[in-house]
Amino acid sequence: MHKNMDPEGKGEWKPTPIEVPHPDGVDSEKIRLFREPAWRLRMTIEGDRSYLYVKVVLAAPLSEPDRYMCLLDAKDEVICMVDDIHALTEENQAIVREELARRYLTSRIEQVHSIRQEYGVSYWDVSTDRGRREFVAKNVAEDARWLGDRRLMILDVDGNRFEVADFCAMDKKSVGLIEMVM
Amino acid sequence: MEAFNEALPDAVTEKLGREGLEDEPALIQVSSDLSSNWQYGRQWVVVTEKRLLVIPGDGEDGMVVVPMAEVAGVRTEELVGGGCLAVDRRGEGPLCVPYSQSLIPKFAEVAEGIRQLSEREGLSLPELGERARCDRCGRLLPERNGICAACIKKWHTFLRLLRYLTPQRWRLVSVILVTLATIALELSPPKITQHIIDDVLTPRDNFSLLVWLVLGLLAVRLLLWAASVSTEWLAQRLGHEGVQEIRSDLYRKLQFLPLRFYDRRTIGSLISRMSNDSDRLESFLASDLPFLLSKLLLFIGILGLLLVTNWELTLFVLLPIAPIVLVGSRIWKRMMRHWTRWGARWSRLSSHLSESINGIRVVKAFAQESRESERFDVRNEDLRAESVAAERSWFVFFTVTNFLMSWGVFLVWYIGGRQILGGEMTLGALVAFISYLWMLYHPLRWFGEIYNILLRAFAGAERIFEVVDSRSEPCAASDSVRLQRVEGRIIFQNVVFGYDRGKPVLKGIHLDVKAGEMIGLVGKSGAGKSTLINLICRFYEPDRGRIEVDGLEMREIGLQDLRSQIGMVQQEPFLFDATIAENIAYGKPDATFSEVVRAAIAAEAHEFIVQKPDGYDMKVGENGGNLSGGEKQRISIARAILYDPRILILDEATSSLDTQTEQKIQKAISRLVEGRTTFAIAHRLSTLRSADRLVVLDEGKVAEVGTHAELMARQGIFHQLVKRQQETTAVMAIGGGKDDPGKD
Repeated sequence: MHKNMDPEGKGEWKPTPIEVPHPDGVDSEKIRLFREPAWRLRMTIEGDRSYLYVKVVLAAPLSEPDRYMCLLDAKDEVICMVDDIHALTEENQAIVREELARRYLTSRIEQVHSIRQEYGVSYWDVSTDRGRREFVAKNVAEDARWLGDRRLMILDVDGNRFEVADFCAMDKKSVGLIEMVM
Repeated sequence: MEAFNEALPDAVTEKLGREGLEDEPALIQVSSDLSSNWQYGRQWVVVTEKRLLVIPGDGEDGMVVVPMAEVAGVRTEELVGGGCLAVDRRGEGPLCVPYSQSLIPKFAEVAEGIRQLSEREGLSLPELGERARCDRCGRLLPERNGICAACIKKWHTFLRLLRYLTPQRWRLVSVILVTLATIALELSPPKITQHIIDDVLTPRDNFSLLVWLVLGLLAVRLLLWAASVSTEWLAQRLGHEGVQEIRSDLYRKLQFLPLRFYDRRTIGSLISRMSNDSDRLESFLASDLPFLLSKLLLFIGILGLLLVTNWELTLFVLLPIAPIVLVGSRIWKRMMRHWTRWGARWSRLSSHLSESINGIRVVKAFAQESRESERFDVRNEDLRAESVAAERSWFVFFTVTNFLMSWGVFLVWYIGGRQILGGEMTLGALVAFISYLWMLYHPLRWFGEIYNILLRAFAGAERIFEVVDSRSEPCAASDSVRLQRVEGRIIFQNVVFGYDRGKPVLKGIHLDVKAGEMIGLVGKSGAGKSTLINLICRFYEPDRGRIEVDGLEMREIGLQDLRSQIGMVQQEPFLFDATIAENIAYGKPDATFSEVVRAAIAAEAHEFIVQKPDGYDMKVGENGGNLSGGEKQRISIARAILYDPRILILDEATSSLDTQTEQKIQKAISRLVEGRTTFAIAHRLSTLRSADRLVVLDEGKVAEVGTHAELMARQGIFHQLVKRQQETTAVMAIGGGKDDPGKD
């Protein structure tokens, strides 16, 4: 550690460089996604190569739902990672969002109608971006997780995922109901 | 097959009618819980012999019809938080029916059913019997097929609990008698004070009576003390012995349940039944139940006494009861919430503590001491805040309920005082009345909670009984064939098996193993090697096909008989926290010491064992923590040698060892294998050189069979695997390999 310290003792720390072959070396702007035939997602890296089947996954779906997206080939091996979805063209972004919405079946809670706590389990009735749904959470202390200050993820007894994108932006009643059980 | 034949809504039936489906009975008819645009809604999947239909839930347009002949394949895709049934069509894209996580088991079966129908096999699906909602009240269940806390047959469960207490009938009766006596005693002090006031203090006379009355008070106190000690003693014995019985029933059951039962449940939830639920029952039977019983009887007793003494006044006294119960139970609820949260924070703090102390080397190595301290401080602060809140709510509970109770006393002083002035009542009676009043009110604040206490206890009992009532392995089926000594010939005939029905792991295995033959199982991970072994041990039953042992179908052989002939040496041998000798003799507890030593010598273990300070008496620690990997392995081999099985299973027995140790173990294993039918799985293919035949599994089927030399000459899958491994070993040799002289 000492040799990385500034000799004048200002305590400035310099990282030791590590040689890593870049995992993909793919320029996000050269990625072109398309459906051909309509049910199969394909990808071409312009001027380089093309894939007959690709799958889109998120590297960190909970903490970075909008970034670090990986493209996998038919063998589920990583082709490349796109650090920011916004670096893709509008058209590709739309395709990516569509694919992600199909893979991640998390519903976003928009409003909480009621939460009943009985016999140690809680019965929820909520409106989500996928429509209204009732679910049971067994142990809120364990099955609900704060992802950051305002985002909340709740797992029901079957492992379905429900997300509150911004706790503070919810209506008063919903906030009150959630606060009551958390 | 009711689970796969759900009732259709009218709109959908009508649509099906228009398709002309009357003469084509629906064989599978199920709904998903997501619509085609992945919103919550419904889609119906209806399958007949000739076609497959997907219909939007509310009868709107967008029905898709696929003739069975067009179905090229069917599978389930796993998504995050759900899944999707994908039907591959010839010439068209796959048809996808999405569903949430809750329906994954159902659609795995549906996929299997569609596959069976499309391949014209005839439909055979198991009874799924999945219930997400309670049949009676429609509440969502906290566990699949679990218990609805609101609808358990409380009376039934209660009686069943009581049945555990019947062996101690006399103790139960004495608890009730002593409780009744206690109540009578508790009711007497106010009566005595009444006499003191009315017959001694008011007339200021009769000193000798005063002495007697005071002595009486003293006697009552002493008797009360004796009674409460004896109830406590009796009730504790009663409760703990009852729960001891329940706990052993549960444990016995857990030992005999089939592995499938464990696959579907987390170990945590089972351990929680063993610990939390039985703890809860224990405290219920040992303290809550006697407490509730005595308080209830006392309440009735006091009420009766008050009514007899002065019924008018009693009616006034009853006025504050409703607010006390209502307000009391509300505050109680909030208080319990604080205490639960306090418990959660406390456990978080202690888990942080144990984590950082266990990982102290890492913390120090990365110089994170102060960050860990800061994180601890935050949790500590959280805990403090919650403790204060919880304690405060406790205080609020008492003051508020006490305040409400004092209203009753005010009323009594006012009305009773007026009656005294009017000569209708004596002062002593009034004082006694007020004493009774406090006794009456006190338990009231908990009354709102009684129902919940009972429910929680009953739900715990139900969860335990559910396990106790589930079906054990067919251990000693009466019609099973008794088998003393197995020769060891094993035949697989078209064996199909999967842990989930939709995903077969073994897809038609044919294999004929001669008695005493050593078979090496080879294949990529996921090819089905371990699954095959699970079937040999009959941990699971094949879905189709049959396995024969010595010409008998495996199902016909008594399970204990079969397993007593099978020995196993695993990659990571499991040792119990006992001495080395006890671990070696695990399968044969009556072995003599010299037998144990002989087995250890044969397993090349004797040498290292005698060098240990305590030799064979050394405690191996939790899961053999005091021994190195190679030592554990040799003990497990000795265990198998002593057990003397006819069929031997070596599951990656040498893969985690360095070469030197491996040589020793190979020697031990070659002694063990002698004359037994052996199935060996090994990643290092060179270790299988001594096998009589190698069986290469690929994609759940037997791809190649033959000796090492034959398979190498054939240049097939095995040849490839060996080639690739030689390359890696060469690389590893340059890099130093993974040999670790560490502990051995």
